[in-house]
Amino acid sequence: MAIIEEPLALEAGEDAVARVERPLGDLTRPQADGSWKDWLFTVDHKKIGIMYGVAAMFFFVIGGAEALLIRIQLATPNGTLLSPEVYNQVFTMHGVTMIFLVIMPLAAAFANYLLPLQIGARDVAFPRMNALSLWIFLFGGIFLNTAWLFGGGADGGWFNYAPNSSVTFSPSNGIDFYALGLQITGIASLVSAINLITTVMNMRPKGMTLMRMPIFTWMNLVVQFLLLFAVPVISIALFQLTFDRLFGSVFFNTEAGADPLLWQHLFWIFGHPEVYILILPSFGIISEVIPTFSRKPIFGYKFMVISGVAIGFMGWGVWAHHMFVSGIGPISVAAFSLSTMFIAVPTGVKILNWLATIWGGRLRFTTAMLFAVGVVSMFTIGGLSGVTHSIAPADTQQTDTYYIVAHFHYVIFGGALLGIFSGFYFWWPKMFGYMLNERIGKWNFWLQIVGFNVTFGPMHILGLQGMSRRIDTYDEDFGFEFWNLVASIGSFIIAAGIAIFFYNIFYSRSQWKKAGMPNPGPDPWDARSLEWMTASPTPEHNFDEDIVVEGPDEFWHRKYGYDENHNVVRIATAEEVAQDGSNTNVHLPSPSYYPIVLAAGLPIIAYGLIFSLWLCIPGAALLIWGMVGWIFEHPDDPNAAHDHHDDHHDDDDPEALETGDDDDDAKELVAASADAGDEN
Amino acid sequence: MSDAVLTPDDVAGHDVAAHDDHGHHETNTGISNNKLAMWLFLSSDCLLFGALISTFLLYRTNISDNTVWEEPADVFDIPFTSLSSFILLMSSLTMVLALSAVNRDDQRNGRIWLLTTAFLGMVFIGGQVYEFTVFREEGLGFGTNTWTSAFFTLTGFHGVHVSVGILLLLGTVFGTRKSGLGKEKGETVELVGLYWHFVDIVWVIIFTVIYLIPIG
Amino acid sequence: MTLNSSAARRYTRVALVVLATLLLAACAGDAELDTRSDLAGPEARDIESFMRILLWVTYAVFAFVMAISFEAWRRFRIRGDDYTDDDEWPEQEDENSLLEMLFNTVPALILLIVGGFTIILHMELNSEETNLVTLDVAGSAVEWEPQVVVVGQQWWWEYQYHFGDVDVDQERVETLPNADIVTATQMVIPVGQEIELEITSRDVIHSHWIPSLNGKRDAVPGRQSAPWKIQADEPGVFFGQCTEFCGLSHSRMRMQVVALEPADFQAWVNAQMEGYPLEADDQAYLEALVAGDTPAAENSTQRAINTFRGKCASCHLMENIADDVWSQERVAEQLVAGAAPNLTHFATRTTFAGGIRNVYDPDTGDFNETDLREWLMNPADIKANYAQPANDDDPRMRGMPNLNLTTEEIDDLVGLLKGAGEKPAEFIIEETGVE
Repeated sequence: MAIIEEPLALEAGEDAVARVERPLGDLTRPQADGSWKDWLFTVDHKKIGIMYGVAAMFFFVIGGAEALLIRIQLATPNGTLLSPEVYNQVFTMHGVTMIFLVIMPLAAAFANYLLPLQIGARDVAFPRMNALSLWIFLFGGIFLNTAWLFGGGADGGWFNYAPNSSVTFSPSNGIDFYALGLQITGIASLVSAINLITTVMNMRPKGMTLMRMPIFTWMNLVVQFLLLFAVPVISIALFQLTFDRLFGSVFFNTEAGADPLLWQHLFWIFGHPEVYILILPSFGIISEVIPTFSRKPIFGYKFMVISGVAIGFMGWGVWAHHMFVSGIGPISVAAFSLSTMFIAVPTGVKILNWLATIWGGRLRFTTAMLFAVGVVSMFTIGGLSGVTHSIAPADTQQTDTYYIVAHFHYVIFGGALLGIFSGFYFWWPKMFGYMLNERIGKWNFWLQIVGFNVTFGPMHILGLQGMSRRIDTYDEDFGFEFWNLVASIGSFIIAAGIAIFFYNIFYSRSQWKKAGMPNPGPDPWDARSLEWMTASPTPEHNFDEDIVVEGPDEFWHRKYGYDENHNVVRIATAEEVAQDGSNTNVHLPSPSYYPIVLAAGLPIIAYGLIFSLWLCIPGAALLIWGMVGWIFEHPDDPNAAHDHHDDHHDDDDPEALETGDDDDDAKELVAASADAGDEN
Repeated sequence: MSDAVLTPDDVAGHDVAAHDDHGHHETNTGISNNKLAMWLFLSSDCLLFGALISTFLLYRTNISDNTVWEEPADVFDIPFTSLSSFILLMSSLTMVLALSAVNRDDQRNGRIWLLTTAFLGMVFIGGQVYEFTVFREEGLGFGTNTWTSAFFTLTGFHGVHVSVGILLLLGTVFGTRKSGLGKEKGETVELVGLYWHFVDIVWVIIFTVIYLIPIG
Repeated sequence: MTLNSSAARRYTRVALVVLATLLLAACAGDAELDTRSDLAGPEARDIESFMRILLWVTYAVFAFVMAISFEAWRRFRIRGDDYTDDDEWPEQEDENSLLEMLFNTVPALILLIVGGFTIILHMELNSEETNLVTLDVAGSAVEWEPQVVVVGQQWWWEYQYHFGDVDVDQERVETLPNADIVTATQMVIPVGQEIELEITSRDVIHSHWIPSLNGKRDAVPGRQSAPWKIQADEPGVFFGQCTEFCGLSHSRMRMQVVALEPADFQAWVNAQMEGYPLEADDQAYLEALVAGDTPAAENSTQRAINTFRGKCASCHLMENIADDVWSQERVAEQLVAGAAPNLTHFATRTTFAGGIRNVYDPDTGDFNETDLREWLMNPADIKANYAQPANDDDPRMRGMPNLNLTTEEIDDLVGLLKGAGEKPAEFIIEETGVE
């Protein structure tokens, strides 16, 4: 079946030979030739993961610059750097960018890169759909940010409450860009969720049962399920908003009797699972890092898995805690107050299990470990302030103040982003074949964590002092100036920390080149999971041969065993155990032109909806070209036509090669583009 | 990309291996990737319609501020809509017949039933277009009130889903002209069928919510 | 090795900073909007005493987590960077059912207790108690169940007092009958009484928040919030700030609650029931205008009356002066919200422009002509607003436009506004001082 373009191990003895010309005209798929086109048309989950990361870091710089603008504006009372109009756009775009275009894709970067590796698969279930997700996300993100060029960004806050988001109250096109841009990135998330769930559920090698999967894989599986169910809800809310703004419907028009709380419910039914979508990947990352550098297996594996799944489930029953003061009625408030409180239990279980993992270990405080331990302590603060919000009466004082701003930055920055940095330092050698410098890394960590606490710690105080969120200025006599100044100074310390991270990449790389590009080996950290069992950087085909898994931490157990006193003894070196990536007899799916073509159609259609419906025609043309090409392009490298005419009846028909599988692909398209189709 | 490229001979040799190893090789769940993906997509789609139906339920009594009706029942043509609903439901039956024909390797009947299904779907869409036209002529626009906004959006989304389904059906019929619609295409047809049945079931809910439950 | 120990010291320091930060939060300064000090109502105090205990619980949990981390770091870290040849492994403990049970039950128990108290407090804050205030309204005794309709709009608050037998709990504020008293930016309440607020909005969602009296409640257009109450123990001025993002001038949407002794409150009610007081000849001039004549204005007040009726009354009502030219429908054509502050008793309030400027100088007590002039010159200079049509299809504005008033017109209007009611009590002026 063309749709399953999963790689195959060839039989021993089959040697790769030079390419054989088998022209298929326009529908020949591109071949890797080592140029930039490899990246553009790749369907390799590792390249896609890296591109997710690069794109997210690009948006991170934009979102960070917006954050600094906010902090400069608020450093002193009556700040005048930004006009109220621009300030509202800047804080909106800061939030939207950081959530949708930075943390989510960074998590997607790790998930894409690592999920197949950690379960021992050669690729994801649907490689082309994977490429499609990446390009849709990237084009959507760029589209969202081009709002700045067309009269300003969205100015309704990331939560964009109706009816402040209607044309009457926000006449510029910013919110149209917000609605359509998030719609587009939502499609990317949905496609990716289907793909990754299928991969994890279906493509594990022999012996890799669910309860042997690494925690990182587990947490990402939960995240993909959350995305699967959360994205359609926000999609509908965004459709309604778009219809209201562009086509005259009245979903949020209170003059026509609409209920503004509809938006809030839809938004937060998506929005609260979204919080776990942001944080769980980081939990997964540090659940890999902490055991590695503690030289102990993760404590309470089962509880770690179950608590993650429990968070995923409970995350659906707490959305209205964002609406404690919106007047939803005291009984609902009480119910959601309690449900929110109890979601702290599985979260607390995780923190305690990490501590128990550290306890009694042999701790090596590498940069990755520092970031991971940083997550444990910083997230604890964020979690505890979260508990204070779940107390509905206290929340009536705290909500929409800087106390909340402090809270969610401790969760998203202190929890999610620090975890992602931990992942950078941990997996960098696996991804790029060189280590990041540890000394600079520690500077990176300390500046980031000090800056972070100096920035967001004081916001707890500001919030309790009564500083409202989303205000562009404040008066002197409110007593806000001291801590605001401190916070602004802190934000520049963070910026310095991030700058050092970028410097570290280039410095480490140049040092590595100077030293003759030594290979860090398959397993530089003495780690535990399967991705370390292949060469660094990961070869294109991931693994030379299928791995038969016998238990959790398979790779570690191949390196170490126990003596009669139950002491750990080494039974093999990593090099002995790991595969060297030299197998060239693995057939991989060919690159494809069409994911990027199909994805390119979406933003053009979105521009068309905003500015002139005529533009939708070329957009739709691209989309259809992409779909048709997708369906009719040869399912794979024509020379490796191995799977689609298994049951072929008339092998002599040359066209059958091209068309024999279109309907299968059509199915792939259902999943990939039914959403797109619905919109257009 | 790996530079592993094969000679035609290798391919021939490999094809057999591929058959064991791939194609219909068993997955961890025992459900093929395609089918699992379809189930996941449909479960996600449930939430999509869930949000739309919730919106409609919220606004179904908000029918004031227009001069066309006192309540939506005034403009509904229940017998007409019931008929087109019945036609859509019948298409689920023909879909089942199509699948069973394909699984029997009965290509001719498989195509006939698939085309019948698509045709019934088109009749339903035609009915919906007609109903929309009537509503518009009565003066009910997209933005007349929250009821009409919710109504047009909900039924519109469903209509788009049916249309996509029709395209899938036609694609299956005409895309397999050369390769044949044999037993091996059973899963393909089954997946289209899954989607089609889902869309039908959703319509049953929509029909009940919009047309049958009176505004108390 | 050196790195690790210095890192350790720094880590300790960071943690101390964090801890100190949180502790400081517990005893934050005395800002006007502070949620934790200078509280003046029982609701706010109840929340605060709960919060105080809760914060100590969170400090304890955090201290526990940090203590374990530090102790683990102290005991178990490997010094030095070269660990590649380290073949020593600690005991591989990865499960302990007792511990896991504790990990689950202890947090759950703590939360159960917290949850129980939460529900008790929550129900108490949402309970209503009926108390009646006997007021003398326009000569007749009225049993007033203290309710104030709070209406948010971009970017100021309106407060309506209905003394008659009116069900104020209506979904849409537009359907309410005319209120007996309408005021803007400042709500006046009697001390010691539980006041029920019916909070709603005319345009977007706002949030009404007087931190020293109680938490906040959103003002949602087309909806009347569930009852929300405030109570002040003693006379004073309590500050508030809109806390739901509501567009351009969200940060400049402020308000105050003025709590008065019952007698003072009665006096305030009496004053608010009056129209604008005019001298006899000015009244005659006004009546001639109302009758359709065009008499020549002879003094500043008369010129101001003319200007007000011509330029201001398309939005603002000033009772006795513009009743005939002002109409709700006309305002709705001009403004998205369909409302502008009622200026009849402008001088009885201590702030204007959405609560961001003083009507009286808090130090000298003089009428603040400077700011008022500046405002009338061009409101957008003081408070960003959209004093232009909302969009091509919608000519309505969201804020006071620049009316291009001449200096003379401004002088006249300032005089008119200065005479709009009695100057409030000294302590109110002193305590206001919004700049």
